[in-house]
Amino acid sequence: MASQYDRAITVFSPDGHLFQVEYAQEAVKKGSTVVGIRGTDIVVLGVEKKSVAKLQDERTVRKICALDDHVCMAFAEKMSSFFCNVSTTFIGLTADARVVISRACVECQSHKLTVEDPVTVEYITRFIATLKQKYTQSNGRRPFGISALIVGFDDDGIPRLYQTDPSGTYHAWKANAIGRSAKTVQEFLEKNYTEDAIANDSEAIKLAIRALLEVVQSGGKNIELAIIRRNQPLKMFSAKEIELQVNETGKEKEEAEKKKSKKTA
Amino acid sequence: MAATFFGEVVRAPCRAGTEDEEEEEEEGRRETPEDGEVRQQLARKREVRLLRRQTKTTLEVSLLEKYPCSKFIIAIGNNAVAFLSSFIMNSGVWEEVGCAKLWNEWCRTVDTTHLSPTEAFCVFYHLKSNPLVVLCQCSCYVAEDQQYQWLEKPHNPGNHTQSNSCQVFWLQMVFGSCPRKNVQVTILTCRHVTDYKTSESTSSLHTPFLKALKTQNFREPPCCSLLEQPNIVHDLPAAVLSYCQVWKISAILYLCYTDVMKLDLITVEAFKPVLSSRSLKSLVKNIPQSTEILKKLMTTNEIQSNIYT
Repeated sequence: MASQYDRAITVFSPDGHLFQVEYAQEAVKKGSTVVGIRGTDIVVLGVEKKSVAKLQDERTVRKICALDDHVCMAFAEKMSSFFCNVSTTFIGLTADARVVISRACVECQSHKLTVEDPVTVEYITRFIATLKQKYTQSNGRRPFGISALIVGFDDDGIPRLYQTDPSGTYHAWKANAIGRSAKTVQEFLEKNYTEDAIANDSEAIKLAIRALLEVVQSGGKNIELAIIRRNQPLKMFSAKEIELQVNETGKEKEEAEKKKSKKTA
Repeated sequence: MAATFFGEVVRAPCRAGTEDEEEEEEEGRRETPEDGEVRQQLARKREVRLLRRQTKTTLEVSLLEKYPCSKFIIAIGNNAVAFLSSFIMNSGVWEEVGCAKLWNEWCRTVDTTHLSPTEAFCVFYHLKSNPLVVLCQCSCYVAEDQQYQWLEKPHNPGNHTQSNSCQVFWLQMVFGSCPRKNVQVTILTCRHVTDYKTSESTSSLHTPFLKALKTQNFREPPCCSLLEQPNIVHDLPAAVLSYCQVWKISAILYLCYTDVMKLDLITVEAFKPVLSSRSLKSLVKNIPQSTEILKKLMTTNEIQSNIYT
Protein backbone atom coordinates (compact mmCIF):
# COMPACT_ATOMS: atom_id res chain seq x y z
CA MET A 1 0.00 0.00 0.00
CA ALA A 2 2.81 2.35 0.90
CA SER A 3 4.35 2.12 -2.54
CA GLN A 4 1.25 3.55 -4.17
CA TYR A 5 0.92 6.55 -1.88
CA ASP A 6 4.43 7.52 -0.96
CA ARG A 7 5.70 9.22 -4.11
CA ALA A 8 3.90 12.51 -3.76
CA ILE A 9 3.84 14.69 -0.67
CA THR A 10 0.30 15.90 -1.20
CA VAL A 11 -1.29 12.46 -1.34
CA PHE A 12 -2.83 10.82 1.71
CA SER A 13 -2.92 7.02 1.87
CA PRO A 14 -6.32 5.42 2.54
CA ASP A 15 -5.37 4.92 6.17
CA GLY A 16 -4.39 8.54 6.62
CA HIS A 17 -0.59 8.44 6.33
CA LEU A 18 1.53 11.06 4.68
CA PHE A 19 4.37 8.73 3.87
CA GLN A 20 6.82 11.38 2.69
CA VAL A 21 6.57 13.10 6.06
CA GLU A 22 7.14 9.79 7.83
CA TYR A 23 10.12 9.07 5.61
CA ALA A 24 11.47 12.52 6.44
CA GLN A 25 11.32 11.51 10.10
CA GLU A 26 13.53 8.53 9.20
CA ALA A 27 16.04 10.94 7.64
CA VAL A 28 16.18 12.74 10.99
CA LYS A 29 17.30 9.54 12.67
CA LYS A 30 20.40 9.52 10.48
CA GLY A 31 21.69 12.52 12.35
CA SER A 32 23.75 12.20 15.51
CA THR A 33 22.12 12.55 18.91
CA VAL A 34 21.16 15.84 20.52
CA VAL A 35 19.94 16.39 24.08
CA GLY A 36 18.16 19.42 25.47
CA ILE A 37 17.49 19.98 29.17
CA ARG A 38 15.49 22.75 30.79
CA GLY A 39 16.80 23.49 34.26
CA THR A 40 15.54 25.96 36.83
CA ASP A 41 17.87 28.78 35.78
CA ILE A 42 19.63 27.26 32.82
CA VAL A 43 19.00 25.54 29.52
CA VAL A 44 21.53 23.04 28.23
CA LEU A 45 22.07 21.72 24.71
CA GLY A 46 24.41 18.77 24.23
CA VAL A 47 25.19 17.28 20.85
CA GLU A 48 27.16 14.33 19.62
CA LYS A 49 29.81 15.75 17.39
CA LYS A 50 30.38 13.75 14.26
CA SER A 51 33.90 12.87 13.25
CA VAL A 52 35.13 14.92 10.35
CA ALA A 53 37.57 13.99 7.66
CA LYS A 54 41.20 14.83 8.38
CA LEU A 55 41.42 17.80 6.05
CA GLN A 56 38.00 19.22 6.88
CA ASP A 57 37.83 22.37 8.97
CA GLU A 58 35.95 21.50 12.14
CA ARG A 59 34.71 25.02 12.65
CA THR A 60 32.41 24.67 9.64
CA VAL A 61 30.73 21.67 11.18
CA ARG A 62 29.13 23.19 14.22
CA LYS A 63 25.77 22.06 15.47
CA ILE A 64 24.41 24.62 17.86
CA CYS A 65 23.22 27.94 16.48
CA ALA A 66 22.14 31.06 18.27
CA LEU A 67 19.11 32.56 16.58
CA ASP A 68 18.86 35.60 18.74
CA ASP A 69 20.35 37.00 21.92
CA HIS A 70 18.08 34.78 23.96
CA VAL A 71 17.24 31.83 21.68
CA CYS A 72 19.51 28.97 20.78
CA MET A 73 19.00 26.13 18.38
CA ALA A 74 20.77 22.86 17.89
CA PHE A 75 20.37 20.66 14.87
CA ALA A 76 22.12 17.42 14.89
CA GLU A 77 25.19 19.06 13.78
CA LYS A 78 25.43 22.70 13.92
CA MET A 79 25.79 25.24 16.56
CA SER A 80 25.55 28.74 15.24
CA SER A 81 24.60 31.96 16.85
CA PHE A 82 22.22 34.36 15.41
CA PHE A 83 21.70 35.94 18.72
CA CYS A 84 22.93 34.87 22.08
CA ASN A 85 19.86 34.06 24.09
CA VAL A 86 17.90 31.98 21.62
CA SER A 87 19.75 28.91 20.41
CA THR A 88 18.84 25.94 18.33
CA THR A 89 20.06 22.50 17.34
CA PHE A 90 18.89 20.62 14.26
CA ILE A 91 19.22 17.00 13.27
CA GLY A 92 18.89 15.58 9.82
CA LEU A 93 19.91 16.99 6.47
CA THR A 94 22.64 19.58 6.92
CA ALA A 95 21.63 21.67 3.93
CA ASP A 96 17.99 21.83 5.03
CA ALA A 97 19.10 22.93 8.45
CA ARG A 98 21.20 25.76 7.04
CA VAL A 99 18.22 27.06 5.05
CA VAL A 100 15.87 26.95 8.03
CA ILE A 101 18.39 28.62 10.32
CA SER A 102 18.91 31.52 7.96
CA ARG A 103 15.14 32.02 7.62
CA ALA A 104 14.75 31.92 11.38
CA CYS A 105 17.55 34.44 11.83
CA VAL A 106 15.93 36.83 9.40
CA GLU A 107 12.62 36.41 11.18
CA CYS A 108 14.23 37.20 14.54
CA GLN A 109 15.68 40.42 13.14
CA SER A 110 12.53 41.34 11.32
CA HIS A 111 10.43 40.85 14.44
CA LYS A 112 12.80 43.02 16.42
CA LEU A 113 12.67 45.79 13.85
CA THR A 114 8.92 45.64 13.46
CA VAL A 115 7.72 45.38 17.04
CA GLU A 116 10.91 46.47 18.84
CA ASP A 117 10.81 43.37 20.99
CA PRO A 118 12.91 40.24 20.68
CA VAL A 119 11.07 37.10 19.65
CA THR A 120 9.80 34.75 22.30
CA VAL A 121 11.10 31.21 22.10
CA GLU A 122 7.61 30.00 21.36
CA TYR A 123 7.17 32.51 18.54
CA ILE A 124 10.29 31.51 16.68
CA THR A 125 9.49 27.83 17.25
CA ARG A 126 6.06 28.38 15.77
CA PHE A 127 7.62 30.20 12.84
CA ILE A 128 9.99 27.31 12.12
CA ALA A 129 7.19 24.77 12.55
CA THR A 130 4.90 26.71 10.21
CA LEU A 131 7.66 26.88 7.63
CA LYS A 132 8.13 23.13 7.85
CA GLN A 133 4.39 22.50 7.60
CA LYS A 134 4.16 24.54 4.38
CA TYR A 135 6.60 22.13 2.79
CA THR A 136 4.36 19.18 3.65
CA GLN A 137 1.46 20.65 1.74
CA SER A 138 2.98 21.98 -1.47
CA ASN A 139 3.16 20.21 -4.77
CA GLY A 140 6.64 19.60 -6.15
CA ARG A 141 8.43 20.15 -2.84
CA ARG A 142 9.55 17.75 -0.17
CA PRO A 143 9.45 18.21 3.60
CA PHE A 144 12.52 19.49 5.44
CA GLY A 145 14.38 16.45 6.72
CA ILE A 146 15.20 18.01 10.07
CA SER A 147 14.08 18.10 13.67
CA ALA A 148 15.16 20.91 15.95
CA LEU A 149 15.57 21.63 19.63
CA ILE A 150 15.13 25.31 20.40
CA VAL A 151 16.05 26.72 23.79
CA GLY A 152 16.16 30.12 25.37
CA PHE A 153 14.78 32.53 27.93
CA ASP A 154 11.82 34.81 27.45
CA ASP A 155 11.50 38.26 28.91
CA ASP A 156 9.70 36.82 31.91
CA GLY A 157 12.90 34.95 32.77
CA ILE A 158 11.42 31.48 32.32
CA PRO A 159 13.61 28.94 30.49
CA ARG A 160 12.04 27.22 27.48
CA LEU A 161 12.78 24.10 25.46
CA TYR A 162 10.84 23.28 22.31
CA GLN A 163 11.13 20.55 19.73
CA THR A 164 9.96 20.65 16.11
CA ASP A 165 9.82 17.79 13.61
CA PRO A 166 9.46 17.46 9.81
CA SER A 167 5.68 17.38 9.98
CA GLY A 168 5.61 20.91 11.36
CA THR A 169 4.43 20.04 14.86
CA TYR A 170 6.11 21.54 17.90
CA HIS A 171 5.94 20.79 21.59
CA ALA A 172 7.44 22.12 24.77
CA TRP A 173 9.61 19.75 26.75
CA LYS A 174 11.34 19.60 30.11
CA ALA A 175 14.04 17.43 28.57
CA ASN A 176 14.26 15.67 25.24
CA ALA A 177 16.60 13.93 22.86
CA ILE A 178 16.43 13.62 19.08
CA GLY A 179 18.46 11.82 16.42
CA ARG A 180 20.18 8.47 16.43
CA SER A 181 19.32 6.23 19.39
CA ALA A 182 17.10 8.98 20.78
CA LYS A 183 14.82 6.44 22.46
CA THR A 184 17.67 5.18 24.66
CA VAL A 185 18.46 8.72 25.77
CA GLN A 186 14.79 9.57 26.30
CA GLU A 187 14.39 6.58 28.60
CA PHE A 188 17.46 7.67 30.54
CA LEU A 189 16.03 11.16 30.89
CA GLU A 190 12.65 9.83 32.01
CA LYS A 191 14.35 7.91 34.80
CA ASN A 192 16.82 10.59 35.83
CA TYR A 193 15.14 13.95 35.26
CA THR A 194 14.10 14.87 38.77
CA GLU A 195 13.84 18.10 40.71
CA ASP A 196 17.15 17.24 42.38
CA ALA A 197 18.81 16.59 39.04
CA ILE A 198 18.06 20.14 37.86
CA ALA A 199 18.37 21.77 41.26
CA ASN A 200 21.36 23.77 40.17
CA ASP A 201 23.19 24.56 36.94
CA SER A 202 26.05 22.12 37.32
CA GLU A 203 23.64 19.25 38.01
CA ALA A 204 21.70 20.06 34.85
CA ILE A 205 24.91 20.10 32.82
CA LYS A 206 25.97 16.76 34.27
CA LEU A 207 22.58 15.28 33.46
CA ALA A 208 22.98 16.34 29.82
CA ILE A 209 26.44 14.80 29.68
CA ARG A 210 25.34 11.57 31.32
CA ALA A 211 22.42 11.31 28.90
CA LEU A 212 24.70 11.78 25.90
CA LEU A 213 27.26 9.30 27.19
CA GLU A 214 24.55 6.62 27.03
CA VAL A 215 24.93 6.67 23.26
CA VAL A 216 28.12 8.52 22.39
CA GLN A 217 30.68 5.88 21.71
CA SER A 218 33.95 7.67 22.19
CA GLY A 219 33.48 9.79 25.27
CA GLY A 220 33.99 13.50 25.84
CA LYS A 221 35.93 14.29 22.70
CA ASN A 222 32.80 13.73 20.62
CA ILE A 223 30.51 15.95 22.66
CA GLU A 224 29.69 19.63 22.20
CA LEU A 225 27.87 21.53 24.89
CA ALA A 226 26.20 24.92 25.08
CA ILE A 227 24.28 26.59 27.87
CA ILE A 228 22.24 29.73 28.29
CA ARG A 229 21.80 31.18 31.73
CA ARG A 230 19.19 33.81 32.55
CA ASN A 231 20.25 37.25 31.22
CA GLN A 232 23.49 35.87 29.91
CA PRO A 233 24.59 35.13 26.38
CA LEU A 234 25.07 31.68 24.92
CA LYS A 235 28.15 29.95 26.27
CA MET A 236 29.88 27.24 24.27
CA PHE A 237 32.01 24.89 26.31
CA SER A 238 35.56 24.36 25.20
CA ALA A 239 36.92 20.86 24.71
CA LYS A 240 38.83 21.08 28.02
CA GLU A 241 35.75 22.13 29.97
CA ILE A 242 33.77 19.28 28.46
CA GLU A 243 36.53 16.82 29.29
CA LEU A 244 36.51 18.05 32.90
CA GLN A 245 32.78 17.64 33.16
CA VAL A 246 32.92 14.16 31.60
CA ASN A 247 35.66 13.08 34.01
CA GLU A 248 33.71 14.38 37.00
CA THR A 249 30.61 12.58 35.80
CA GLY A 250 32.63 9.41 35.33
CA LYS A 251 34.02 9.62 38.89
CA GLU A 252 30.59 10.18 40.38
CA LYS A 253 29.27 7.19 38.46
CA GLU A 254 32.10 4.97 39.75
CA GLU A 255 31.50 6.09 43.33
CA ALA A 256 27.79 5.42 43.01
CA GLU A 257 28.52 1.94 41.65
CA LYS A 258 30.95 1.21 44.49
CA LYS A 259 28.35 2.22 47.03
CA LYS A 260 25.81 -0.04 45.35
CA SER A 261 28.12 -3.04 45.32
CA LYS A 262 28.97 -2.44 49.02
CA LYS A 263 25.29 -2.40 49.87
CA THR A 264 24.58 -5.64 48.01
CA ALA A 265 27.64 -7.29 49.57
CA MET B 1 -2.91 3.70 -21.04
CA ALA B 2 -3.18 5.62 -17.80
CA ALA B 3 -2.12 9.04 -16.54
CA THR B 4 -0.16 9.32 -13.32
CA PHE B 5 -0.36 12.08 -10.74
CA PHE B 6 2.40 14.02 -12.47
CA GLY B 7 0.74 13.82 -15.86
CA GLU B 8 2.98 11.24 -17.47
CA VAL B 9 1.24 8.55 -19.50
CA VAL B 10 2.14 4.97 -18.74
CA ARG B 11 1.09 1.66 -20.12
CA ALA B 12 -1.42 0.05 -17.82
CA PRO B 13 -1.09 -3.75 -17.51
CA CYS B 14 -3.85 -5.58 -19.33
CA ARG B 15 -4.85 -9.13 -18.41
CA ALA B 16 -6.81 -9.67 -21.60
CA GLY B 17 -3.78 -9.33 -23.83
CA THR B 18 -3.81 -9.09 -27.61
CA GLU B 19 -1.93 -10.94 -30.34
CA ASP B 20 -0.22 -7.76 -31.44
CA GLU B 21 1.14 -7.14 -28.02
CA GLU B 22 2.53 -10.68 -27.78
CA GLU B 23 4.37 -10.36 -31.10
CA GLU B 24 5.90 -7.08 -30.05
CA GLU B 25 7.06 -8.59 -26.78
CA GLU B 26 8.58 -11.61 -28.53
CA GLU B 27 10.58 -9.39 -30.87
CA GLY B 28 11.91 -7.54 -27.91
CA ARG B 29 12.88 -10.82 -26.22
CA ARG B 30 14.95 -12.21 -29.10
CA GLU B 31 18.59 -11.98 -28.19
CA THR B 32 21.32 -10.82 -30.51
CA PRO B 33 24.71 -12.60 -30.38
CA GLU B 34 26.21 -9.53 -28.74
CA ASP B 35 23.58 -9.62 -26.02
CA GLY B 36 24.35 -13.29 -25.43
CA GLU B 37 28.07 -12.55 -25.14
CA VAL B 38 27.46 -9.72 -22.68
CA ARG B 39 25.14 -11.93 -20.66
CA GLN B 40 27.73 -14.71 -20.48
CA GLN B 41 30.48 -12.29 -19.46
CA LEU B 42 28.29 -10.92 -16.73
CA ALA B 43 27.46 -14.43 -15.55
CA ARG B 44 31.19 -15.25 -15.36
CA LYS B 45 31.84 -12.05 -13.43
CA ARG B 46 29.08 -12.87 -10.96
CA GLU B 47 30.27 -16.38 -10.20
CA VAL B 48 30.98 -17.10 -6.58
CA ARG B 49 34.39 -18.62 -5.97
CA LEU B 50 35.18 -20.45 -2.77
CA LEU B 51 38.90 -20.53 -2.15
CA ARG B 52 41.11 -22.53 0.18
CA ARG B 53 42.98 -20.47 2.72
CA GLN B 54 46.54 -21.60 2.16
CA THR B 55 46.72 -22.03 -1.57
CA LYS B 56 43.92 -19.69 -2.67
CA THR B 57 42.81 -22.40 -5.07
CA THR B 58 39.19 -23.27 -5.60
CA LEU B 59 37.62 -25.82 -3.33
CA GLU B 60 36.41 -28.84 -5.31
CA VAL B 61 33.74 -29.74 -2.81
CA SER B 62 31.47 -27.61 -0.70
CA LEU B 63 32.91 -26.07 2.45
CA LEU B 64 30.89 -28.14 4.91
CA GLU B 65 31.84 -31.33 3.10
CA LYS B 66 35.50 -30.39 3.44
CA TYR B 67 35.09 -29.17 7.02
CA PRO B 68 32.18 -31.02 8.61
CA CYS B 69 30.76 -29.29 11.63
CA SER B 70 28.10 -29.58 14.27
CA LYS B 71 27.69 -25.83 14.74
CA PHE B 72 27.62 -23.33 11.90
CA ILE B 73 27.32 -19.68 12.82
CA ILE B 74 26.81 -17.11 10.08
CA ALA B 75 26.97 -13.34 10.55
CA ILE B 76 25.61 -11.30 7.67
CA GLY B 77 26.06 -7.54 7.66
CA ASN B 78 28.55 -5.30 9.43
CA ASN B 79 26.82 -5.16 12.83
CA ALA B 80 26.44 -8.93 13.06
CA VAL B 81 30.05 -9.38 11.91
CA ALA B 82 31.24 -6.91 14.58
CA PHE B 83 29.26 -8.83 17.21
CA LEU B 84 30.89 -12.13 16.32
CA SER B 85 34.34 -10.54 16.08
CA SER B 86 34.06 -9.00 19.54
CA PHE B 87 32.14 -11.56 21.54
CA ILE B 88 32.90 -14.93 19.95
CA MET B 89 36.17 -14.72 18.10
CA ASN B 90 38.13 -13.40 21.05
CA SER B 91 37.36 -16.54 23.02
CA GLY B 92 39.75 -18.89 21.27
CA VAL B 93 41.99 -19.34 18.28
CA TRP B 94 40.09 -19.34 15.03
CA GLU B 95 41.69 -20.50 11.84
CA GLU B 96 40.58 -19.24 8.47
CA VAL B 97 39.57 -22.21 6.32
CA GLY B 98 38.28 -20.48 3.25
CA CYS B 99 36.84 -17.37 1.73
CA ALA B 100 34.14 -16.72 -0.82
CA LYS B 101 34.96 -14.08 -3.38
CA LEU B 102 32.10 -12.64 -5.34
CA TRP B 103 31.18 -9.54 -7.25
CA ASN B 104 27.87 -7.88 -7.94
CA GLU B 105 26.64 -4.38 -8.66
CA TRP B 106 26.56 -3.55 -4.95
CA CYS B 107 30.29 -4.19 -4.49
CA ARG B 108 32.63 -1.22 -4.41
CA THR B 109 35.47 -3.14 -6.06
CA VAL B 110 35.57 -3.16 -9.84
CA ASP B 111 38.30 -5.74 -10.44
CA THR B 112 36.81 -9.19 -9.98
CA THR B 113 39.81 -11.30 -10.89
CA HIS B 114 42.42 -9.82 -8.62
CA LEU B 115 40.65 -9.32 -5.33
CA SER B 116 43.17 -9.02 -2.54
CA PRO B 117 42.92 -11.13 0.63
CA THR B 118 41.63 -8.14 2.57
CA GLU B 119 38.76 -7.84 0.13
CA ALA B 120 37.46 -11.38 0.63
CA PHE B 121 33.88 -10.71 1.41
CA CYS B 122 32.85 -13.92 3.12
CA VAL B 123 35.40 -15.50 5.38
CA PHE B 124 35.03 -18.91 6.99
CA TYR B 125 36.76 -19.93 10.21
CA HIS B 126 36.83 -22.96 12.41
CA LEU B 127 37.79 -23.12 16.07
CA LYS B 128 41.21 -24.74 16.39
CA SER B 129 40.36 -26.35 19.72
CA ASN B 130 37.07 -27.69 18.34
CA PRO B 131 37.03 -27.86 14.52
CA LEU B 132 33.38 -28.88 14.56
CA VAL B 133 32.49 -25.23 15.12
CA VAL B 134 32.54 -23.23 11.90
CA LEU B 135 31.86 -19.54 11.64
CA CYS B 136 31.19 -17.36 8.62
CA GLN B 137 31.51 -13.59 8.47
CA CYS B 138 29.76 -12.20 5.43
CA SER B 139 30.04 -8.45 5.10
CA CYS B 140 29.01 -8.09 1.48
CA TYR B 141 25.66 -8.23 -0.24
CA VAL B 142 25.03 -11.60 -1.88
CA ALA B 143 22.61 -11.06 -4.78
CA GLU B 144 19.66 -13.38 -5.39
CA ASP B 145 21.28 -15.08 -8.38
CA GLN B 146 24.45 -15.72 -6.35
CA GLN B 147 22.79 -17.21 -3.30
CA TYR B 148 22.33 -20.64 -4.97
CA GLN B 149 26.06 -20.84 -5.67
CA TRP B 150 26.77 -19.89 -2.05
CA LEU B 151 24.46 -22.61 -0.73
CA GLU B 152 24.64 -25.74 -2.86
CA LYS B 153 26.80 -26.90 -5.76
CA PRO B 154 30.58 -26.88 -5.88
CA HIS B 155 32.07 -24.48 -8.39
CA ASN B 156 32.76 -26.00 -11.82
CA PRO B 157 35.10 -23.72 -13.74
CA GLY B 158 33.99 -25.18 -17.06
CA ASN B 159 30.31 -24.60 -16.48
CA HIS B 160 29.24 -21.13 -17.44
CA THR B 161 25.64 -21.90 -18.16
CA GLN B 162 24.21 -21.15 -14.76
CA SER B 163 20.59 -20.46 -15.20
CA ASN B 164 19.63 -16.92 -14.39
CA SER B 165 16.44 -18.23 -12.89
CA CYS B 166 18.38 -19.85 -10.00
CA GLN B 167 17.72 -17.89 -6.85
CA VAL B 168 20.41 -19.12 -4.51
CA PHE B 169 24.03 -19.31 -5.76
CA TRP B 170 25.98 -18.63 -2.60
CA LEU B 171 24.52 -21.67 -0.86
CA GLN B 172 26.12 -23.92 -3.52
CA MET B 173 29.55 -23.36 -2.09
CA VAL B 174 28.80 -23.87 1.51
CA PHE B 175 26.31 -26.64 2.10
CA GLY B 176 26.68 -28.70 -1.05
CA SER B 177 23.95 -30.78 -2.65
CA CYS B 178 23.53 -33.23 0.21
CA PRO B 179 23.95 -31.44 3.52
CA ARG B 180 24.40 -33.16 6.87
CA LYS B 181 21.33 -33.12 9.05
CA ASN B 182 23.11 -32.96 12.38
CA VAL B 183 24.48 -29.48 11.98
CA GLN B 184 22.88 -26.61 13.89
CA VAL B 185 22.88 -23.32 12.03
CA THR B 186 22.66 -19.92 13.69
CA ILE B 187 22.30 -16.86 11.49
CA LEU B 188 22.71 -13.29 12.75
CA THR B 189 21.75 -10.27 10.70
CA CYS B 190 20.27 -6.77 10.84
CA ARG B 191 17.45 -5.04 9.00
CA HIS B 192 16.16 -1.53 9.12
CA VAL B 193 13.23 -1.10 11.48
CA THR B 194 11.03 0.13 8.62
CA ASP B 195 11.03 -3.49 7.35
CA TYR B 196 9.31 -4.60 10.55
CA LYS B 197 5.62 -5.02 9.82
CA THR B 198 3.55 -3.48 12.54
CA SER B 199 0.51 -1.28 12.90
CA GLU B 200 2.43 0.96 15.33
CA SER B 201 4.52 3.88 14.12
CA THR B 202 8.24 3.02 13.88
CA SER B 203 9.04 6.01 16.07
CA SER B 204 7.20 4.34 18.97
CA LEU B 205 9.24 1.12 18.70
CA HIS B 206 12.17 0.75 21.03
CA THR B 207 14.97 0.05 18.58
CA PRO B 208 17.15 -1.88 18.31
CA PHE B 209 15.30 -5.09 19.16
CA LEU B 210 15.83 -8.75 18.39
CA LYS B 211 13.41 -11.17 16.72
CA ALA B 212 13.86 -14.84 15.82
CA LEU B 213 12.71 -17.08 13.01
CA LYS B 214 13.46 -20.80 13.06
CA THR B 215 13.07 -23.97 11.03
CA GLN B 216 10.74 -26.75 12.07
CA ASN B 217 13.63 -28.91 13.26
CA PHE B 218 14.92 -26.31 15.69
CA ARG B 219 13.75 -27.53 19.09
CA GLU B 220 15.39 -25.21 21.61
CA PRO B 221 13.61 -22.15 22.93
CA PRO B 222 14.89 -19.05 21.10
CA CYS B 223 16.66 -16.28 23.01
CA CYS B 224 14.06 -13.69 22.07
CA SER B 225 10.48 -13.54 20.83
CA LEU B 226 9.63 -14.96 17.43
CA LEU B 227 9.03 -12.66 14.48
CA GLU B 228 5.32 -12.01 14.23
CA GLN B 229 3.21 -12.43 11.11
CA PRO B 230 3.83 -11.36 8.38
CA ASN B 231 7.21 -12.88 9.22
CA ILE B 232 9.04 -12.05 6.04
CA VAL B 233 12.81 -11.99 5.81
CA HIS B 234 14.99 -11.16 2.81
CA ASP B 235 18.22 -11.88 0.97
CA LEU B 236 20.88 -14.36 2.07
CA PRO B 237 19.51 -15.00 5.59
CA ALA B 238 16.17 -15.96 4.00
CA ALA B 239 17.93 -18.18 1.46
CA VAL B 240 19.89 -20.00 4.19
CA LEU B 241 16.83 -20.44 6.37
CA SER B 242 14.73 -21.72 3.45
CA TYR B 243 17.49 -24.12 2.48
CA CYS B 244 17.68 -25.44 6.04
CA GLN B 245 13.90 -25.83 6.23
CA VAL B 246 13.84 -27.80 2.96
CA TRP B 247 16.71 -30.07 4.05
CA LYS B 248 15.31 -30.42 7.60
CA ILE B 249 18.36 -28.82 9.22
CA SER B 250 17.97 -27.23 12.64
CA ALA B 251 18.46 -23.50 12.07
CA ILE B 252 17.54 -20.22 13.69
CA LEU B 253 17.80 -16.67 12.40
CA TYR B 254 18.26 -13.83 14.89
CA LEU B 255 17.22 -10.62 13.24
CA CYS B 256 18.04 -7.28 14.83
CA TYR B 257 15.77 -4.44 13.74
CA THR B 258 17.58 -1.15 14.06
CA ASP B 259 17.32 2.40 12.81
CA VAL B 260 21.08 2.68 12.35
CA MET B 261 22.25 0.40 9.57
CA LYS B 262 25.90 1.33 9.72
CA LEU B 263 28.25 0.01 12.41
CA ASP B 264 26.75 1.07 15.73
CA LEU B 265 27.56 0.06 19.31
CA ILE B 266 23.98 -0.09 20.51
CA THR B 267 22.88 -2.22 17.56
CA VAL B 268 25.73 -4.67 18.07
CA GLU B 269 24.96 -4.93 21.77
CA ALA B 270 21.35 -5.75 20.94
CA PHE B 271 22.61 -9.20 19.87
CA LYS B 272 23.79 -9.97 23.42
CA PRO B 273 20.78 -12.17 24.37
CA VAL B 274 22.01 -14.61 21.70
CA LEU B 275 25.08 -15.33 23.86
CA SER B 276 22.86 -17.41 26.15
CA SER B 277 21.88 -19.81 23.33
CA ARG B 278 23.25 -23.34 23.38
CA SER B 279 25.28 -22.75 20.21
CA LEU B 280 27.12 -19.72 21.51
CA LYS B 281 27.19 -20.16 25.29
CA SER B 282 30.27 -22.36 25.26
CA LEU B 283 32.11 -19.98 22.94
CA VAL B 284 31.79 -16.85 25.08
CA LYS B 285 34.63 -16.20 27.51
CA ASN B 286 35.30 -12.63 28.51
CA ILE B 287 32.47 -10.17 28.05
CA PRO B 288 34.19 -7.00 29.44
CA GLN B 289 37.12 -7.62 27.12
CA SER B 290 34.68 -8.13 24.26
CA THR B 291 33.11 -4.75 24.97
CA GLU B 292 36.55 -3.12 24.74
CA ILE B 293 37.26 -4.85 21.43
CA LEU B 294 33.91 -3.65 20.14
CA LYS B 295 34.65 -0.05 21.09
CA LYS B 296 37.94 -0.22 19.20
CA LEU B 297 36.11 -1.52 16.14
CA MET B 298 33.77 1.46 16.34
CA THR B 299 36.53 4.04 16.44
CA THR B 300 37.99 2.77 13.19
CA ASN B 301 34.70 3.54 11.46
CA GLU B 302 34.17 7.03 12.75
CA ILE B 303 34.18 9.41 9.80
CA GLN B 304 30.62 10.21 8.78
CA SER B 305 28.87 11.68 5.80
CA ASN B 306 28.47 15.45 5.48
CA ILE B 307 24.90 15.14 4.23
CA TYR B 308 23.40 14.37 7.62
CA THR B 309 24.11 16.32 10.74
